[in-house]
Amino acid sequence: MKVSHVTRYRKRGVAATVCLVAGLSSVGCVQTTVQEVRQADTQIGTGESIVILSRKHKTQGETEDDFVTCVSDSVNSGDGALPILSEREFVDATFPWFEPRTAPLNMEDLATVINRPLIARRIDEIGVRYLVWIEGTTERTDESGSLNCTFFSGGIPACFGFLSWESGSDYEASVWDVERGMTVGTLSSEAAGTSFVPAVVVPIPVIARVREKACANMSDQIKTFIHPTLASVPVPEG
Amino acid sequence: MRPIGLGRTGWACPVPCQQNCACRFGRRHILAVGFAALLLGGCQGGASIAVDATVPSPLVDPIRAAMGVYFEDDLVTYVHEEELEDYGPYRIDIGASQAPVFVRVFNAMFENLVPMEPADQGTNLPAGPIRFVGTDGSSPVVDGIIAPSIEEVQFAIPDQTGGDFYEVWIRYKLTLFDAGGNNVGELPLIGYGKANERNFGQLGQRTPALHEATIWALRGAAAELSLRFQDQEQVRKWLAAIGVQPR
Repeated sequence: MKVSHVTRYRKRGVAATVCLVAGLSSVGCVQTTVQEVRQADTQIGTGESIVILSRKHKTQGETEDDFVTCVSDSVNSGDGALPILSEREFVDATFPWFEPRTAPLNMEDLATVINRPLIARRIDEIGVRYLVWIEGTTERTDESGSLNCTFFSGGIPACFGFLSWESGSDYEASVWDVERGMTVGTLSSEAAGTSFVPAVVVPIPVIARVREKACANMSDQIKTFIHPTLASVPVPEG
Repeated sequence: MRPIGLGRTGWACPVPCQQNCACRFGRRHILAVGFAALLLGGCQGGASIAVDATVPSPLVDPIRAAMGVYFEDDLVTYVHEEELEDYGPYRIDIGASQAPVFVRVFNAMFENLVPMEPADQGTNLPAGPIRFVGTDGSSPVVDGIIAPSIEEVQFAIPDQTGGDFYEVWIRYKLTLFDAGGNNVGELPLIGYGKANERNFGQLGQRTPALHEATIWALRGAAAELSLRFQDQEQVRKWLAAIGVQPR
């Protein structure tokens, strides 16, 4: 009975150590770069909101939906949260003018669209002040190594090897002021990192969360860009 | 050794077995084999979707006309079935969406929309002039009648194209009639939609991705129709023939 307890505690100890090691080392390092080009002052009034959209007219390199959702949710929460209208609500409310093949690609086209009385009325109703067009993707590159997993007799799984890959996020946002019909600025967020999975029996993934970091940086940038006074508020390091 | 929770008759083997599989697999093996089966299932198997959706009401200025609309049976029951070599059978059922989508679009495009059907009930349109009546048998006054039909549906999956997208094309034909049921013209209409495979999980992505691409194809057709309708030469001639002023 005593031996059984010791064995159980030893197993628990090993499991706890593995979890602790995995937990502590599961986030890889990420290098980030953010840039901002401001072309005009910005402000957002009561009842006004922002829409964050992705370009969908390209045949490749389309921005992932979950990145747009991540940025929208982050801009809409935390310190300096800004009112957000979701991409789907906006394209439905303005159908068919912001569909993949009909959305304006530049300010001249936007002006033509929003000067139509029906569209102008609808945009006024839904209170959209800024359109933030996001382009870019996260790509995985330079994969190397290998990982082999097998079952030993008795059904015990085990993995051996070393796998690594580079990930890079490169996103750019163009901010359009619908009310004034002009581009007010461009923001960019880049992040790069190396992920690896060493495995000696137990694989321990160390993942560089580049997209999450790019999302967090882009969201903070959008907040401080629209509300410049927020720039003086210290942003905690992620 | 008998696996817990699985009787002999309840075990489905992913690969042919010479002996009773249940006797040779433990619980861990079952998990491993189940995972392998899931992976294999992710490589083949096609997809079957039924899209029953509509589109938002288009923000367009309506044409001052009372327009009849007729949906033939082939349109409202349309199903595309195709066997892709190496990728399995695909079935795209879009019939249920057709009437809701066109009614929503035409309601925005014309001041008055009247559902109609041929007085001589047949499943599809005859070649000659057609006497259209209201769906209640009445004889409503209309300026013209539009009858949409699907000519062809195509789709592509990322494995075929090497790209990131599930893609769907729907090629429509809109037959344009005058009030007397004479065929005055035809307008081709293409709806294209795509869905980025990156927005879906690696396993089991085909069905939701193809569904999403099909919905975008319907939206694409609706957008194209509501925005470009009057720019088409065939439409201008038809409107002139039925005495309707473009907006």
